[in-house]
Parts: sequence; C-alpha cells; structure tokens
Amino acid sequence: MATYHPSGHMQLPRADAIRSRLIDTFSLIEHLQGLSQAVPRHTIREILDSSRQKKLMLGDQHQLVRFSIKPRHVERITHAQRLMSTLRVRCSERPPLSLWAGWVLERILSCHLFFFNFYFLLENFIIFLIFLNTVVLMVEIELLESANTQLEPLKLTLEVAAWFILLIFILEILLMWLSSFFLFWKNAWNVFDFVVTVLSLIPEIVVLAGVTSKPVWLQLLRICRVLRSLKLFARFHQVRVIILALVRALKSMTFLLMLLLIFFYIFAVAGVYFFENYTRSTRQDLEYHEFFSDLLNSIVTVFILFTLDHWYALLQDTWKVPEVSRTFSSIYVILWLLLGSIIFRNIIVAMMVTNFQNIRNELNEEMTHLEVQHKADIFKRQIIQRRQNLIPEAQRSSISKLDARLGVTFHETDAIQSHECAAVDKRAERKRRKDASQQGRPSDLTEASQQESKQSATRKGSKASKSRTKSLSKRRKSTSSFSSSSSSFSSCSSVSSSRYCDLIGKQKVSSIFKSMVVAFFVYCKSGFLVLHIFSFSPSRIVFHPCFLRQLDWETHVHQNLPGLMDMDQDERVVWPRDSLFRYFELLEKLQYNLEERKQLQEFAVRALMNFEDK
Amino acid sequence: MAAALGTRGATRRWFAALRGRSQSLAAMAFGFMSRVALQAEKMNHHPEWFNVYNKVSELIFVSIYSSEFCMKLYVDPISYWKDGYNLLDVVIIIIIFIPYSLRKIKGKHYPYLNIADGVQSLRILKLITYSRGIRTLITAMGQTAYTVASVLILFFVLMYIFAILGFCLFGLPEGGDMNNWGNLALAFFTLFSLATVDGWTDLQEQLDARNLILSRSFTIIFILLASFVFLSMFVGVMIIHTEDSIKKFERELMLERRMNLMEEKQVILKRQQEEVSKLMQTQKDLDHKSFTELVEKFKKTLRHTDPMVLDDFGTSLPFIDIYLSTLDNQDATIHKLQELYYEIVHVLSLMLEDLPQKKQSKSSEKVDEK
Repeated sequence: MATYHPSGHMQLPRADAIRSRLIDTFSLIEHLQGLSQAVPRHTIREILDSSRQKKLMLGDQHQLVRFSIKPRHVERITHAQRLMSTLRVRCSERPPLSLWAGWVLERILSCHLFFFNFYFLLENFIIFLIFLNTVVLMVEIELLESANTQLEPLKLTLEVAAWFILLIFILEILLMWLSSFFLFWKNAWNVFDFVVTVLSLIPEIVVLAGVTSKPVWLQLLRICRVLRSLKLFARFHQVRVIILALVRALKSMTFLLMLLLIFFYIFAVAGVYFFENYTRSTRQDLEYHEFFSDLLNSIVTVFILFTLDHWYALLQDTWKVPEVSRTFSSIYVILWLLLGSIIFRNIIVAMMVTNFQNIRNELNEEMTHLEVQHKADIFKRQIIQRRQNLIPEAQRSSISKLDARLGVTFHETDAIQSHECAAVDKRAERKRRKDASQQGRPSDLTEASQQESKQSATRKGSKASKSRTKSLSKRRKSTSSFSSSSSSFSSCSSVSSSRYCDLIGKQKVSSIFKSMVVAFFVYCKSGFLVLHIFSFSPSRIVFHPCFLRQLDWETHVHQNLPGLMDMDQDERVVWPRDSLFRYFELLEKLQYNLEERKQLQEFAVRALMNFEDK
Repeated sequence: MAAALGTRGATRRWFAALRGRSQSLAAMAFGFMSRVALQAEKMNHHPEWFNVYNKVSELIFVSIYSSEFCMKLYVDPISYWKDGYNLLDVVIIIIIFIPYSLRKIKGKHYPYLNIADGVQSLRILKLITYSRGIRTLITAMGQTAYTVASVLILFFVLMYIFAILGFCLFGLPEGGDMNNWGNLALAFFTLFSLATVDGWTDLQEQLDARNLILSRSFTIIFILLASFVFLSMFVGVMIIHTEDSIKKFERELMLERRMNLMEEKQVILKRQQEEVSKLMQTQKDLDHKSFTELVEKFKKTLRHTDPMVLDDFGTSLPFIDIYLSTLDNQDATIHKLQELYYEIVHVLSLMLEDLPQKKQSKSSEKVDEK
C-alpha cells in the first residue's frame, strides 16, 4: 500500500477510532503478539456438503472445529416446536403423548376470548364452562332452602352439571401436566388455577368420604365451589394486565408498607402502656374497655383508629377514667390520626398514582420504540432512493468527475435497483441484495478516496481524467473479482473476536461515525456560505435548488440518524475479509485527506479575506 | 497522639466491617424489639423465667447500644452529630434511660411512669438504619415534609378561626353546648371530629337539640372546607411531590449507572490503545517499522473468500450510503468553489494587468511633485 501516512502530525480522533476498530475486528493485538486466533474459514454449509467435507477431512485430521453462533432475532418458539426438534422425539416411532396433549390444549380448550358474544362463547370452551359453573351455583343456592319436591330433578341435574364441570377442570390440569410438567409450575397463573381447583376439591372429597356429620364442611363446600369462578381471572388478557399492574405497584410500595407496619407496632405497644389505667379501671359503663387490654387488641384498635372510625367516642370514653391523663391520651390519638390516617394514607395514594403513571409511560415507550423503528426503516429506504436520484444531479454540476462516476453508477444503479426491488423483509433476499450491492460499494469507495487524495494534492481538474481512467480499470478488475466470489456466501459463520471489546469499540466508533457525518454537514454549510459571499457567476441560480435540497438533506439526516442507529440491528452484512481490511484502511486515510482538504480550504478563505481595496 | 489516631482508625475499620454484617445486627435489633413486645404482655403475669429472660436481654441490649454510641463518638466526635441517623441513636438511648431516671428521681408511684414505659416502643426505630430501602424512602418523604408542614399549619389556622367562632356561637354557658364547645381545647376536638367526618352527625344532633342558630350552616361549611377541600388538597400536594422526588431519584440512579459505564469503557479503550502503542514501540525499536508495515504480513494472510459477518453500524450499508451521499455533496460544493476560485483568480489577474500602468503613472506623479 502507498506510504501516504501522516505518522502522527495530525491527531484525528476519528482516524484513531477507525484504526482501533480495525484492530478490534481483526484482533491484531493477539496476532502481532504471536498468538494467532482461529479464523473462521468455513461455513456450516460447507461442512454439510459431502464433497467439501471430504476435502476438509483430507486436509488436516486434527483440526479443531469451533462453532460460533450469533443469536438470531426470531419470534417466539413454542414448547411444541422445541420438543419436535429434540433428538429423542425425532428418532422415536410414535409421537409422544405430550405433543398430543399440547395440541388438545391449544385447539380446543384455550382460545382467547375477544368479544363478549354468545356465539363466541361456544368456541372458548373453558370460559363457557366457568360461566356455566357460576350460573349453576347461583341457581343451586336459590333452590337450597325450598323443599319443593317437584324441583328434585332440577337439583339433581344441577349437581351432575357441577360435578361434570369439575371433572373437566381436573382433566385440563392433567393435560397441562402431561404436556410439560415443569413449565406448568413456572407460570404463576397455572399455579393459581391449580390451587383454586384443589381447594374446591377438598371439601367434595371429604363429603364423599362420608364425614357428613359436621355442617362446617358443607358450608366450606359451597364456598369453595364459588372459588372456581376465580379461575376466570387467568383467562381474560385484559384482567391479567390489570392484575400484573397492581402487583407491580404493590411491589414498589413494599418499603412503605414496612414503615407503616413499624408505626403500627410502635403505637400499639405504646397504647397498651398509655391506657393501662383505663384497662384496669373497674367502671361498668366503659364501652371500649377491652380495646387496649393486650397487644392483639391494641393492634386492632390502632387499625380502627387508622380507618378513622369512632375515634372521638373512644377518646371520650377514655376520659371517663380520671387516672388517664387527658393530655397524653389526646396527644396519642391526634398524633396517630395525623401520622397514620392522614399522612400515610395519602402517601399510599400518591405512590399508587405515580406507579400507574410509570406503567403507562413504559407502555407508551414501547409504542414509541416501535414507531421509531418504523421511521428508521422508512429513512433507510429514502437514503437508497436519494442515492439513486442524486447521482444524475451531480451529473449537471461536475462533468469531469461524472464520466468516471457514470461507469460506476451503471453498475451501482443495477445494484441499487436490485437493492430497492428486494425491499421485502425476507432474509434470503436481503442477503442477495447485500451481496450484489457489495460489489458496487468498495469499488466506489476506493475510487472516491483516490479522487479525494488526488484532488487535495492538486487543485487542477485535469488530473481527473487520469484518475478516471485508472479508476475505471480498477473497477473492472475489482468487480470481476467480487462477482466471482461473493455470490457463494451465506452468513452462517461469524467473527470470533471477543464480544466485549467489540461492543465497546463498536459503540465508540459508531458515535464517532455519527459525529463524522454530522461534522460534514457543518462543513457543507460553511461551503455554502463561502459560495454565497463570493458568488459572481449567474449559475448561482442553478445551484440554489441543489443547495436547498442539501439543507433539507442535512436536517433530514440529523433528525433520522439517531433512530437509524438505534434500530434493532438484525441485518448483518457479509464482508470479504480483505475488502473489510481495505475498507478500514481507506476510511482512515480518507479522514486524513478530508482534514487536509479542510485546512487548504481555510487557507484559501483566509487569503481571500485578506484582500483590501487599495 | 499517634496512638489515639491509630486506635481511631482501628475502630473506624472495625465499624466498617460491622456495617457489612448488617444482618446479624438486624437480628439483634429484632430481638430487642420483640423483648419490648413481650414486655407488653407483662399484664398477664407470665412465669418467673420469662421476667428473668426479659431483664437479662434488656441488660445485654442496652449495654451493646450504649457502648456502640460511646465508640462512635470516640471515633468521630465532631462529624458524629451531622448524620441524622446518629442523632436518632442518641434519642433512642436517651429514651431508654428515661424510666430508670424517672424511677430514681420521682419514686415508684409517679403517675406518668406508664407513659415512659410506653415510649420504649420507639426503640424499634433503630431498625431503620439497617435497611437501605427504608432510608431512601425516608429521604424521599423528608423532601415532602416542608409542604406537609405548611399544609398542616394552614389547616390549624383554619381550625383556629372556626374554633373561636364556634365557641362564641355555641359554647356560651347559657343555652350552649358546654360538652363540646365549652373551652378552646374541646372546640378543637369537635372541629377535628368534623373534619375527619367521624361521628359528626351526633355532634350536630346535640346542637340541633338546643336550637342554636346557624349551627347547620356552620357545620356544613366547615365540613366542606376542611374535609373536601383541605384533605383532598393534601392528597394532591403529596402526589405531586412524590412524583417529583421519585423522578429525581431515578434520574440520579440512571446518571450514576451511565457514568460508571462510561468510565469502564474509557478504561478499556485506553488499555487497548496503550497495548497498540507498546507494540509499535517494541517493533520500532527493532526494525523502525510503521503500523502499516507491521500489519503487512497479516494482510497477506487475508483471503478474499473468508467471510466476516458484522452487524455494527460503521460497516453497515445504510451508513455507507449516507456517508457517500454526504461526501458527494461535499465534492459538489468543493468543485463549485474551485470554479469560483478560478474565476476570482482570473478577474484578479485581469485587474493586475491593469494596475501596473496606473501605478507607473502614480509613481511618476510623485516623482514630479518631489
């Protein structure tokens, strides 16, 4: 490579960042220190291909194979899909029972209810059953006391229906266990379901076992049947969201509740001592005599005071006993009212409000995130279109450069058009696009940077023709080499550099890149200003639309670049290794060249400014 | 002097170690607290070993806490008083010693002894120091204390006005309700009962039974003002302040986290740069190579058929698109500038051609003058 290397007399942080990125990507440090990393040379497809595999095996018997897998951004993988890809399932003759259980659950028993419409109820079997259970219970309770013998068959049918529904609930739980036992317990809603069902089962079993003597169990039985309606909570999605929001709000208030409990304790114990005389008094007309007798009663009394119920009556009752000092008792009650029921209750309300607002903001953030992604997507397509349009624009302004560019742009527009047409979000097509446009990119870059360096060195346009021919020949060579090799790749392998340094370097460099792009806009703007001051030629009018669009471009990119950078990067680019190295090198040189051009420009401006009218 | 400083440092370090084992101390505090709870059960005549257990545990805990206080004071006598939680410790120790001192000073049958015993329950506040969550909560709540205090003062002023009004209207000895409005304190209590709308219908009944004028409007106006307006305003003010303090707290947390992350990144980047420069130094000492020559050999091993898959922004296609577009714009600008410069130069050269003639004539004039 040429020796155009400033060797440190111009310190550019951007160039340094690019170099450090280069070092990171190729892990040059370890290489130069003598430890060469394993370089991914083959892809999985090559290994699976039998002919290539033979060649590989013949090469070196003791090669180590290291698979580096990049996590892919895929949709949710269901448990059934995972099960289907395990070796055990694929090699067995019959599909396992858990798959069938999962299918039954999926299709028949647990669809989501979206409209509260009777016809839809039939489709959502379990929800329908829960409602039926509730109705049966209501009717049963009404008929419980009537001794009407004509209603005996009705009672019998109700009983049978209730038992039938219970059996179906138990069956559903058994199916879920069959499908995957361990996952059942991980989901909190399933555990809730299970607990409720078991609770409602116990009294029935007890009754069946014959312990009919105690009426307590019959009452429990009826209560637990009602509990089955609670299963409804797990079914509706909206109810789940509300309950989850409540649980989160409560979680963040744990310390507040702990503090409240501490205060409860303080006032309860103090109350026992303060009203000792009141408890020991032998007067007969005290209504609230037992209220401060021991710790448990005292806690209940403190809670009663917390809810502001009959506190003045209690206070006046304590005043009846002369030994109780009025000041201390009233201080106690008033202090507790102020602290507990007025201040604390309102703090709890405030915390709840804040938490619900936070939850709503988080949900909004997700929405805005999706929106930003969408905008970034649109911006990307606009860039591609702009590239297509801008190139015929540049034709009008500078002809000498354009002949060179035209040759490249033909190739590029082909690439870009294929780039454009394949804007469907399918990965394979995207890869093809990348590979095709890959051919255009580096050659353009090499040509542009070469032009830059040439241009900054000399300020005549005559050499452009020389560079044009050179670049054309180079382009032909490079494109031929690219087309041959880059078409056969798939992005299954990945770089084996340490992810950590990658991430750090990447972020810093990407921020540097962003600042690079931004800085150039400022430069463009200054160029525009200089032109405005020294505009002699009438062709200024022709230039204006160009400049206006330039401003629009600048602000446009300004607004959209952060969104683009924060986009979920699930696109990956396949670079041939030496092209990537060359890309980094050229980018670094480009920075130096641009810096020099800027300095020359400033020099010219200063020289022009020094003109005086003499 | 040096020995004193040394012991101070030693105690300081010992305290730091103790703080780390906060769970054991929390267990101790819990034991302390439960002892006070059990004390409340003293009414019911527990067996003798229970009382012995109570006394022994109280002795142990009191001795531990007072020795902790003394040592902390010894370590940092001046800045000890600046920390709020240390002040809380001091207050609790004072509270612990009140019953003993009262018993000693005033004798065993002082009627307010049970008050002193009741105040012992405040010992549990020592638990707060050991829990970081409660501490942050109290800090957050403390910022709302000013607003709360001002609202309460306003409330008190309102009650004062209405108490005096009520006393004059309803508390006069003849035909008035002496039970509830007889003196200022009673009037305050009545008004507080109205404000918390608890049992106010009974109070109103008594006023109605004596046929006092304006009693109903008085009561209703006061209930509207105090209960509906003031207490709701209280809620609103607390909501706003809680939101503010929570937001500030979260922002500080995020800032702290980001600062830490940035520092870590800087450290790693610096380390990498140092390594590279070190490498280059060693190589330079050997063969006077530059960076490009260093990697020349590495470059030769790069094959075109090796794929590298990258997904960072700097090597992605959108970035290249944007960058090249901006470079194109720049080139266009520079090209136009160049053309303009050529024009300038051309015009200037034309001017220069005209100038020498004028200059010659001018200089000749000057010579003529001279």
